[in-house]
Amino acid sequence: MDYVYYPGCTLFTKARNLDECARKAAERVGFTLNEMPSWNCCGAIYNTTSDDLAAQVGPVRNLAKASQLGDRLVTLCAACYNVLKRAQDMLNGHGDALVRDRLLAFVEEPLVQPVKVLHFLEVLKNDIGWDNLRSRVVRELAGLKVACYYGCLMVRPAEVLSFDNPENPQVMDELMGVLGAAPVRFDFKAECCGGYLVVNRRDVARQCSDRIVENARAWGAEAIVTTCPLCQFNLERLPAASASPLPVFYFTQLLGLAAGLSEHELGLTSNTPTATEFLRAKGLT
Amino acid sequence: MQRARQPRVGVFVCHCGINIAGVVKVPDLVAEASLLPGVVTARDYVYCCSDPGQKIIRDAVRNDRLERVVVACCSPTLHEGTFRNACAEAGLNPYLCEIANIREQCAWVTADRDAATAKALGIIKTAIAKATLDRPLEPVGLPLTKRALVVGAGIAGIQASLDIANAGYDVVLVDKEPSIGGHMAQLSETFPTLDCSQCILTPRTVETGRHPRIRLLTYSEVASVSGFVGNFKVRIRLKPRYVDFDSCTGCGLCMEKCPGRAESAFERGMTRRKAIYRLLPQAVPNRPVIDPEACMYMKKGKCGTCARICPTQAIRFDDTERFVEEEVGAIVLATGYELLDATRLGSYGVADVPDVIDGLAFERLLSASGPTSGEVKRPSDGKVPKHVVFVQCAGSRDSTSGVPYCSKICCMYTAKQAILYKHRVHDGEATVCYIDVRTPGKGFEEFYRRATDEGIQYLRGKVSKIFRQGDKVIIWTADTLAGRKLELEADMVVLSTAVVANPAGVELARRLKIQLDPHGFMTEAHPKLRPVETLAAGFFLAGCGQGPKDIPETVSQASAAAAKVLALFGQDKMFHSPTTAEVDEDVCVGCGYCERTCAYDAVKVDSARRIAVVNPALCEGCGACGVACPSGAISHRNFTRQAICSMIGQD
Repeated sequence: MDYVYYPGCTLFTKARNLDECARKAAERVGFTLNEMPSWNCCGAIYNTTSDDLAAQVGPVRNLAKASQLGDRLVTLCAACYNVLKRAQDMLNGHGDALVRDRLLAFVEEPLVQPVKVLHFLEVLKNDIGWDNLRSRVVRELAGLKVACYYGCLMVRPAEVLSFDNPENPQVMDELMGVLGAAPVRFDFKAECCGGYLVVNRRDVARQCSDRIVENARAWGAEAIVTTCPLCQFNLERLPAASASPLPVFYFTQLLGLAAGLSEHELGLTSNTPTATEFLRAKGLT
Repeated sequence: MQRARQPRVGVFVCHCGINIAGVVKVPDLVAEASLLPGVVTARDYVYCCSDPGQKIIRDAVRNDRLERVVVACCSPTLHEGTFRNACAEAGLNPYLCEIANIREQCAWVTADRDAATAKALGIIKTAIAKATLDRPLEPVGLPLTKRALVVGAGIAGIQASLDIANAGYDVVLVDKEPSIGGHMAQLSETFPTLDCSQCILTPRTVETGRHPRIRLLTYSEVASVSGFVGNFKVRIRLKPRYVDFDSCTGCGLCMEKCPGRAESAFERGMTRRKAIYRLLPQAVPNRPVIDPEACMYMKKGKCGTCARICPTQAIRFDDTERFVEEEVGAIVLATGYELLDATRLGSYGVADVPDVIDGLAFERLLSASGPTSGEVKRPSDGKVPKHVVFVQCAGSRDSTSGVPYCSKICCMYTAKQAILYKHRVHDGEATVCYIDVRTPGKGFEEFYRRATDEGIQYLRGKVSKIFRQGDKVIIWTADTLAGRKLELEADMVVLSTAVVANPAGVELARRLKIQLDPHGFMTEAHPKLRPVETLAAGFFLAGCGQGPKDIPETVSQASAAAAKVLALFGQDKMFHSPTTAEVDEDVCVGCGYCERTCAYDAVKVDSARRIAVVNPALCEGCGACGVACPSGAISHRNFTRQAICSMIGQD
């Protein structure tokens, strides 16, 4: 199975390990990510501005270009997923038709067919299937107690994203179960990690991240799993130095590990050293 | 064929105040109508439905020897009965009286006076055309079984059964639980008077259990219902109790010695009960049942202690389900409610936090017969909670993750629970997080005031999240009156989870084709004027199966349903409208299209004669079979093809 793939800017810089590991893990479990050429910023950084039109230019151009390559577009970063899926919803007719026409005229790329924006997790669950995936596991993550953290962007607004239950999402927990790990239930699956406040209000972002990590730890988690580069950064790097940190993995790293990727291919060097130490201690690398 | 003589027709035009006369030119209309063929008298009156108006019609029937009456007035759903009765009193068969609806279908929807007048005349012409072809009909008389079935033995079913039985009629009362009382048996005290629920309920349960006219079938379910109003046949499934009902004396020895355990649903999962158990000490009937899932003997073949020690040898490990058949004339559905499964409310995290419980569970903690003998102790560690937070509208008024409606009882039971908690734990703190406090009931507002006066803190804001932190429960909410976000720390949280229709009742209603609203509550025939009847004749509603309500309202509705049953039983036999389908046996080929079309199971093909037969007791006269019939053999009495063509043929 081949999919048009939109990596997004962070996956080429800070979150290189998310991108590289995802492509290799995909091959291992039976699908191929074909990066779309000349993609541009998804638009996430404009999302908080008052000018909604400017915020939509990026995602609409990406979707128009993707539509020339296929009818499904896979992405990984929670922010890209959120922005692209909301733009897709607008293009599908849930919005001002005039704005839509102006945007499409402006980007000068024809939208040749409706594009369905999919998260990598949706491909795993719906197209590959848990049973199929289970048969591809070569290294069970037995007994690994993980807290699956979804953040806010994956699940909300629920009526547009319709990704999972917005208050108690499950798909990553299901995936971890398939890989042999033991997902723990915790209370802060979908609360804000602090997001971009890390730039100018580090104290507030730290409060948000601390709360998530501490709650995960209280429920017995040994590691946190996430989908979003910003969440990964905040949860891994922000919590107070006094607390012993929890390793924070991308779900693709644990998928790759279970599917037989080498330690090098997991890109653990981009995580804090805790991550490598943790997997070693568990006898998984 | 000889053409029938044109019958003598009287036309009566009602002004309906200005409803009709304000638009239709009544004098012109009467003048035109009087010239129509067959019309021997045409009159008008300001309110035909009034006594003088009816007298005009009665006098005209007698004096002008009318053979057909057409009343041009409001919708037949309102006054067809009135005018047909008036005709009958004057000696004219009531089915020869027709309504020309010139209000809803003309005056109310037409602005131009001349157009309205012309249209009214057209409507009158069609009514005359139909009346001309009408035949005199007699209502269908049917036998009537004067026994009632009541499904559900909560306070609604108990009240309805006692009212019917005390009026002298037999009642079969069915409940799926081993004993009666329903949710009311779980409650501690009742608002707004704080009288003990058991104390007011047990006289009724005892009376029900001993009533010579009530056949009580507990641990039983309605398997099927056939027949029709006055003549239902009900098949009831008796679940195996594994205890012989007649020889058991209810001594309770077996329950003392039984080693098997299972989670107690009656105690809302807060404690474990024996494998042989009764719901509560005051159980009616006071006979235990064995839970085969928890019984060691039935699972593994070891134990059998109860059988060894039973003084009357009442244990029957080989018991099986049985069925009984009952014939009844009316059915009261009192299937009650359940509380919404709180695990649906993702951010309230109830499943994994033992100290977040629902309102019924808190009732058990307050109840003297509950798992803590009435001491408020929290489920996780048995400590007395010093701060309890009550969360209102947990699922109610929340169309995203719960239900859109208000559950009606939570504001009041929470005030009660908070008051009772403060009475038990003097240094305890009670906080109520609410979005509105609704107190429309006798003494309710005063009761809510009492709660605030007794120091219970009310915070207005919707709770967004509940989670565990150490041995505390954290509540994120807001105080919208002060305009600030709040994080509360509690020892225990009580969720007022939404009242939903009992799933077993929903399933039964679906099988019986009782109309349900989108939330599974049974729908009354009219929300204001027929609140305890259903659209299916012979089925009546009582209690929370129809919608959330408190005990006084439930009891009132149950007595109302009983009154409706008694009104039915007060007749010598039943009468059903004769305007039903009829089959021309010479034309019918027995193809069965009608049988497949009928929504009421009223038409069946007689396989021996290969002819469709209509059961007039079940036929609602909808006409669907007549449309489906390829050979034109089925027609509708007084609504024949000929009549319809004649009506259409009027210009």
